[in-house]
This record gives sequence, C-alpha cells and structure tokens, in this order.
Amino acid sequence: MKNSAFLHFLTLLLFKQRSKHSGAILISVIIIFLLSAVLFLSSSLQYTLLSTLQRQGDFTVTRVEAGKAANTPTAWVDDILEMNGVSHVAPRVYGRYFFTPRGKSFLVVGIDFFDEQNTQALEALVKNIDLKNFLSRESMIVGEGVKHFLEAHYFKEDFTFKTPKGTFKKVHIFQTLPPEANLLANDMIVMPIDLAREIFGLHENEVTDITFNVPNDAEWDTIITKLHLKFYDVRVVDKREVKKAYKNLYNYKGGVFLILYLVSIVTFILILYQRYAMVYSTERKEIGILRAVGWSIKDILKLKFYENLIIVLVSFTVGVILAYLYVFVWSAPMLSAIFLGSSNLENHVSFVPVVTFGTLGSIFLFYAVPFLAAVLIPAWKISVTPPKEAML
Amino acid sequence: MVILENISKIYHEGTPQAFEALRAVSMKVNPGECVVLSGVSGSGKSTLLALIAALDKPSRGKIVVNGELISKLPDLHASAYRAKTIGVIFQHFNLLESLSVEENVIVPLIHSGLHLSTIDSMAKKSMELAAISHKASQEVKALSGGEKQRCAIARALVHEPELILCDEPTANLDRENSLKFIEILHALQDLGKTIIVATHDPLFEGLPFVNRVLHMEDGQLECGKNE
Repeated sequence: MKNSAFLHFLTLLLFKQRSKHSGAILISVIIIFLLSAVLFLSSSLQYTLLSTLQRQGDFTVTRVEAGKAANTPTAWVDDILEMNGVSHVAPRVYGRYFFTPRGKSFLVVGIDFFDEQNTQALEALVKNIDLKNFLSRESMIVGEGVKHFLEAHYFKEDFTFKTPKGTFKKVHIFQTLPPEANLLANDMIVMPIDLAREIFGLHENEVTDITFNVPNDAEWDTIITKLHLKFYDVRVVDKREVKKAYKNLYNYKGGVFLILYLVSIVTFILILYQRYAMVYSTERKEIGILRAVGWSIKDILKLKFYENLIIVLVSFTVGVILAYLYVFVWSAPMLSAIFLGSSNLENHVSFVPVVTFGTLGSIFLFYAVPFLAAVLIPAWKISVTPPKEAML
Repeated sequence: MVILENISKIYHEGTPQAFEALRAVSMKVNPGECVVLSGVSGSGKSTLLALIAALDKPSRGKIVVNGELISKLPDLHASAYRAKTIGVIFQHFNLLESLSVEENVIVPLIHSGLHLSTIDSMAKKSMELAAISHKASQEVKALSGGEKQRCAIARALVHEPELILCDEPTANLDRENSLKFIEILHALQDLGKTIIVATHDPLFEGLPFVNRVLHMEDGQLECGKNE
C-alpha cells in the first residue's frame, strides 16, 4: 500500500513536470541513438566479415619475387598436400580486372569448381545454383554492384574481357550474388579457374595463390615454418592475421565515435549536474520543501532515483529502437558511408541484425550510471543541507 | 508540549562572520495553547520556529516536544517527527508550483504507509478545514496569495499534527485574507491543536483565543527575561 501512494506521486511528478524532463529525454535519446547505431553497425560488420572468413581457407600461400607477389606454380599444390595435417588444398586465381573506359575495377576470383570446399562455399552463398548448367559454357557469377554497373553499360547478358594478349573473351553473366554478400562481394566476379587464368594471361601451370586448411590449430605455426623451409620465396597469410585486420578495420572507426560519445556524454552530464547543483534552482527548493514536510533523505533519493530511472529507461528504449531501425531497416544512411568508405562500384549494403546482450548492457551502463550519478549526487548534497537553507 | 531550555543559535560559528540569532532562549508551551511570538524582522522568531520544527539544529540548548528530545535528532528521526507531530505554515507558502492544490496537500502523506483512498479522504477533510476544497484540482501557480496560504494550511493539517507552527503567515496576505487566516487559526485551536505563531502583524494583538504573546528582541524573549 505504501508503494501505491509513492507510485502515484512519482507518476504525477513525471507527468506534471514533463516539460522539465523532455529536454533531458531528447538529448539522451540522441546520445543513445548515436552510440547504439555505431555499436550495431560495427558489430554487424564484424559479424559478417568473420562469418565470411570462417568459410575461407586457413592459409593463403603466394610466391614472391624480390618481395613482390608473383604467379604461384600449381606444382606447389602437390608439395603442400604432402605435408602432414594439411587438407583442402585449392589453387586460386585472384586479381583486379580494370575496366579502363570508366575507371572502375572488378575483383575476379577464379576457383576450381570441382573442389568440394569451393562448391560448398558457393552453394552456401548462392542458393539453388545449377552448377552443371553454369559449367556448360563460359559463365560467371557477379556481385550486385557489378551487375548494375554492367547493365548500365549495356552488358545485360554477357561481358567481354580484354586479355593481356589483346584478344577478347566473352563471358556469360549466369547469376548474381545475393545482396547479403554486398559487403565483401559487391564488385566480385566468380568464375572457373581456367577462365580466370585466360583473362589474366596466366600459364596453365600457374595460379595467383593457393589456399588450404590445417584443422589442428596447434599445428599452424609448425606448418608456417615448414612452408618457409620448403619454399624460400613464399608469403604465408593465415586466418588469424586476416581476422585481426578485419577487426581493426572497423574498430578504429568505432573508436572515433566512442570518443565523440564520451565528449558528448561528459558535456551532458556536466550540464545535468550543474542544473541539479545550482544554488537557487527549483530542484533545490523542491527538495527543501519535501524535507520540511517530513520526507527523509532516503525518501528524497528514492524519488529522484526512480524519477530519473524512468527517464533513463524511456530514453534507452527509444534510442535503441531508433538505432535498430536506422541500421538494420534503413541500412544506416551516412553512417555506413563513414564506416565503409567510398566504394569502387555503387554499393547498397544491408546489415545483418546483430544485437547482443553485452552490447545493450554496455550502452545502458555507459549511459545510465553517469546520468543517475549526475542527478543523485547533487540531490543528496541538497538533501543533507538543512531544509530551511534549501528552501531559500 | 514544547519545552525550550537555553536555546542558542549561532550562524557561521567560529568564523569572523559568526552571528548569534538566538541567545539562551527558554520557554514552555502547554498542550492546546496558542502562543504568538511577536517582534521585528530579524529578532529571531523564524529561527526559533525552524528549531522547534527540526528544520535546523540549535548550537546550544535543549528542545523537548511531547517528551521527545528533538534538538539532536538524526535525519531519519527528525523527518519522522516532522511527518507526524508538526505542521508548518511558511511565510512564502513553499508549495510545489507545478502540482495542484490536492496534490500539494497529499505530499506529507506519501511515505505514511496509508492507502491511497485514506490519503485522499484525509486531504479532502483538510482542504475543507482550510476552505480551499473548491480549488482542489487547480494548479498552485494559478492561485492568489490567500488561496496559496490556505493550500499551505491544508498541507500542514493533512497528517493531523498536534503542533502547528506558523511563520509570518499573514506577511504576504491582504487584510481580508489575513482575517480569514485568523478565523482558521481560531478553528484549529478549538480542535485542541497547539499553535505557535511568529509574526509582527498587529492583527494578532489582543485576539481572544491567543493565550500568550511573547515579545522577541535581538534573539531574546521579552528583553532577556526567559520563561
């Protein structure tokens, strides 16, 4: 029963003093929206990149000549296969094809479609792909950006590549990669390895790199050593390095926003603190009056705590929902351009909704704790001064 | 009911700005008595009331109300004492401007543990006594000075205190409203309430229901003669 009177009064105060609270709620919503949008975006990007990485080989090996990348002999495939603990060795042709007239480029990936791992990865990405039909003629699967670019230049069914020998190679556009792959595959063209070899002018016994797996993580460093002993002119990139690079890529951008968030929250908290601590503020007088009519310090702090907790919860809910809609429904206009940078081809990235309890908890704590402290500390300070003084 | 023994209040004690607002004041107010503390501004009347209301603590001396020593009460007990035993009517009304009359009146009962319907009926009773029921749902900021004063009276009475303290209650009222206030005061005394009024308003002189008028000057009672 005691609580019903308190709840009644709490609701009453919040409603009657809504204009006083609306400013704080508005600023809070903006701050929480910005923080949530940045965290949602970077979490989603990292999730997409890391889950893509999971489908890739553990190691990528390239031959180097005087420190620069050179074509890798296919004979290395057998040499690598001989190493214990190695599986799924696959040669790959990988490189940028420049479409000089428009100054754009496509990322061409030539893979062996008879390799089980490659077909599985492709089938996971492109649902219901008819591989038999695909391989029956010289075809390619293109990213959405490539598809739109080619269509805009009247290459609706086929595209003609210019080979280093000066000849032309017409390739049929078989299918488009799904929009979910736009983050990494917007400008990608996937084709059979022999076709890619022809386009880049590679010999039959050459590829750009070789990928393979080492299922036992503990063996990774041993394999790297073995590769360096076996091939003196080799560059080995393992998944750990790629993972680190992917994480860092968006972490630093998120970091910039976190600094902005910290600056804005500190400013806001200082304003709040100032408002509540002001010597002749309305809050001060109100606390004095409540104390004079019999409220204890504990009662005052309880009222201020719940009053501001409701403000925090409302702001948090509204800010998080708006950020969710902005990032995952409206694809984060402006913010995505900052995170993704300028793209080679026009890219419409849709973000995979990734919202963890940890992210939400961090947002709440980073906001609620300083907010409540900024209100409760001055409220407590006023409460402990004699009511006669506070009411002045 | 109220016993004050050698009460002194020194503001900024121990500093060059030290100011002695009350000097060894002693007095006694019996249950059901109506006592008027008169004197010019700055004579110490309001300070004395604030100490009896436990809104401040004396520098020296002892205050006993209903057998309870209130001069050294810790916060929790002082708040409970204010919430239970006394009702204060301030010169500047001290109302929560954004709330209505009724909402202001129920404030002292929020932490009483009473049911909302009981609180509501107590508020209605108190507003009737203070003749402000007709303005119950009106926001305080829209009220006249006299109405605000009646709202403050209703709030001071809502928890049915035994002791009512009035600090310059008519200072912000016109003559008509001051007379109405005096009428309410009379009714309260008839209800058996103990009343202490600090005022320099001559209207309070010679009122039949006032038991005693104590004059204060320079922080002392009646030229230094304490009771």
